[in-house]
This record gives sequence, C-alpha cells and structure tokens, in this order.
Amino acid sequence: MDLTLIVVLVIALALFFDFTNGFHDTANAMATPIATGAMRPKIAVALAAVLNLVGAFLSTAVAKTISNGLINEGHGGVLITPTMIFAGLVGAIIWNLVTWLYGLPSSSSHALFGGLIGAAIVGAGFGSVDYVVLLDKVILPAVLSPIIAGLVAFCATRLAYAITRRYDRLPDGRAGFRFGQIFSSSLVALAHGTNDAQKTMGVITLVLISAGALAPGSNPPVLVIAACALAIGIGTYTGGWRIIRTLGKGLTDVKPAQGFAAETSTAATILASSHLGFALSTTQVASGSVIGSGLGRRGSSVRWGTAGRIGLGWLMTLPAAAVVGAITALIGLLGFVGVVIDLIIAVGVIVLIFAISKRNRVSARNAFEGVNEVAESGRVVKIRKVKPKKPKRSAA
Amino acid sequence: MSGIDWISFVIVAAVALVAACVVISLYALALRMLSTAGKAPHVTPAEFTDAITIVTPAEAAAEAKRIKKAASRSPLTPLQKRLALIVAYTCFVLCALVVLFGIYLIVPALHS
Repeated sequence: MDLTLIVVLVIALALFFDFTNGFHDTANAMATPIATGAMRPKIAVALAAVLNLVGAFLSTAVAKTISNGLINEGHGGVLITPTMIFAGLVGAIIWNLVTWLYGLPSSSSHALFGGLIGAAIVGAGFGSVDYVVLLDKVILPAVLSPIIAGLVAFCATRLAYAITRRYDRLPDGRAGFRFGQIFSSSLVALAHGTNDAQKTMGVITLVLISAGALAPGSNPPVLVIAACALAIGIGTYTGGWRIIRTLGKGLTDVKPAQGFAAETSTAATILASSHLGFALSTTQVASGSVIGSGLGRRGSSVRWGTAGRIGLGWLMTLPAAAVVGAITALIGLLGFVGVVIDLIIAVGVIVLIFAISKRNRVSARNAFEGVNEVAESGRVVKIRKVKPKKPKRSAA
Repeated sequence: MSGIDWISFVIVAAVALVAACVVISLYALALRMLSTAGKAPHVTPAEFTDAITIVTPAEAAAEAKRIKKAASRSPLTPLQKRLALIVAYTCFVLCALVVLFGIYLIVPALHS
C-alpha cells in the first residue's frame, strides 16, 4: 500500500479529530459564564478559542502520553501501523459527533483511547492491550475525577455563599462573581489548550515516526504544533452549542457565585492533576464541578436524569469508540481498497450526522432559548417581586 | 494489588480542594468587604443570555440606586469604610497572585 497516502490521510483525520475535540470541549470552560450572562456567547467562545490556541503552544509535555503505555508497542509488543491509527481516529471522531448530536459532554480522550484500543485488538489480538494500565490510567480516573471535582465545587460553592451572605438586607455584591467568572473560565480554557491539543500532536508525531519521517523519540515539529493549535482553536470557536446548553442549564440553574466556584474548582482540579503527573479528563472534571456546585447552593436542584444520561454516555464512550475503531480496522485489513471503503463510509456517516443536526439547530442564538422565553414572559406580565421577610435576629 | 496509585488521587483531591477554597475565599471576602464599604459591585448580565433573569436597563439603574442608598445608610465610620475597601483590594490582589501562580504551573517553560 502507498505509505505516504495513508500518512497524509491520518494527519488530515487527526486534525479533524482535533477540531471535534475543540468544539466538544468549549462547553467545559464557557458553558457556565454564558449561562450566567458573564459574557456574550460569541465573545466567550472567541476568548476560549484564543486561549486554546495559546495554550497549545505553551506546553508539549503531554504530547507523548498518548503513544506510551496502554498499547504494548516496541520490543516484544506490536508495531502500530498508520492504518490502525487511521481506524482509531475514525472511531474517535464518529463517537465525538454522536455524543455532540445528543448534547452529551463526553471525554474526547476516552474516545481516542477507545478507537485506538479497538483497532489494536483487531490488528494484533486481545493481548495487545495492557488492561492494568487501562484500568489504572483511564477507567479509575474517569470514575474518580467527577467525584473529586464535585466535592471541591460543593465546598467552594458553600464557602462563596457563606462568606457573602448578609442578614441585614444590604446588597451582597454577589453580582461581582460574574466579573470573576471571566477569569476563572479563561483559566479552564488555557488549561484545556495545554492538555488536549497535545493528544493530536502526539498522534501525528507517532505517525510521522512510524512512517520514518521523524527520528524515534523526537519532539513534535513546529508545523505540527501550529496546525494542531489552529484546528483546536477553530473547533472551539465553532462552539458545540448543544453541549454548552447541557452543561449550562441542563444539569442545574447556574448563578454567578456558583459558576465562579465551579470554574475555579475545575481549573484547580485539572491543574493539580496534570502538575502531579496524570491528566484527568477536562470534560469529566467540568461536569462534576457543575453538579457539585448545584448541590452546594441552597434552593438549587440538580437534574439527575440529565446527569444519568451523561454518565451513561461516559460508560459507553470507550467501548463504542472501540467497536467503531475495530470495524474500521477490520475493513482496513483489505489493504488500500479497504481504507478507501472506510473513508467513504466515515465521510457518509459524518455527513449524515450533520444532516440530522440541521433538523433542530442549536447555535449561539438559541442555546438558552427555552429559559429566556420564561424570563421574557415574566417581563411582560410584570411579576411583582416579593420582598423577603426580615429575618429574626434571635436565630443563631 | 495492581499499580493503582491511590495516594496521588488523595493528593490531587486535597491540593485542588485547598487551592479552590483559597481562591474562592479571597474573592468572596473581597466582594463582602466591597459591599461592607458601601461599594457593592453591580455587574449586569449580558443581555439575552442569562439563564435565570434578564435585566432591563431600568432594572439595572434601580439596582445601582438601591446600592447607593444602602451605602448611605451604612453605620460604619468613613475610616472603617476605607479599611474595608483596603482589605477588599488586598484580597483581589492576593487572588490574582494565586491565579498567576496557577498559570505559572501550566507553562513548563517558566519553571523548568
């Protein structure tokens, strides 16, 4: 088979995966500030895009983790062929688009891991996957990270409300959290850029190494870094509005203090974990934070049905992407014809998903529409605000 | 058993909890002191996006007026108010420093 053709194909697919990664994960940073009105939607996604772009250039430390471990390679292991990476990417992209269609925030890295694992199993049998590493590095963090983030966000929200609570009916200044949200969400976007663009850089570098264009163990070239940064930036700017809607108002009604607490917790958890050596999924941390902050604010409720759907999506991400990756790899075994068939099917599925998404379009204009109609109608009817009763001083 | 590193999970949870609580406390305290000093911040949400309420310009002006009125009723002396304001700004600066430290941690070029 023509090696250079498949290398070009894989690089193109990897960049497209980076794009879907960007637009899947805009919500992690920007759903809550958009929901509380801290920033206009377009400005928020533009800011996130720029910070992702900058973040991608800041650090290339994570770029190698995707190829190391997990799949036994090198001495005594299997050689990862470009066709297998191609199949893995197809699995990851298709699963990312399906979860986007349903507005589910799911981990792009899990999709990528799943796709690669599926392809590796077909290409080299079940022995090619290191299941201990899989449990240790992927599945356990996936279970623990939302719990950790949720706990942190719960405490942070409680603290924010306790400190600003006033019993004398003077203004409490909580609207000031809206201003803080701009910074806390920016930090999340920057951390995301330093983490997620790396994965694609790692994949492209891996392909270039396997094709012999780069020496083994070399760092990603500048051109690769720039292309990945651009792809994730454009993806972020496009904005996965369906997912923003789910995180911003689907889980709980977010108030400024709560949003600030959730974003700070997300940033703190991601930074702590990546600084201490293992990267947690941004998506799972952000979702956990939103739920935790919803539990922390008095009088707010968490919609557990939505949370359950998201959890189900997480459970399915790895196996589902693995199945797609495996099927793609299976067809790919036919050689060049197989890859062409794969490509045609993949493009067909992608076009189909976009066609289905057109039926109920969600964009910056209508992401929060349903709630706004309620607020608008409240404005028309002129609901008189009931003043709170003066609290009894005697209560401790 | 297997190589699951429970201790590092606990460390991450603890570090994240402490860091988030420090940032939140500083920012919340700053807001609290601002409103104590009679300068409660008043940030209206961007029009049409707010999930809960939409604030009209008239409502925003009324809110600003209410804050001003509340400030005039404050029992604090001017010195106390100034002190509260100083504490508020100190908290904002400290909070910004903590966040800058976070950025310093993100960028390996700065500390390696």
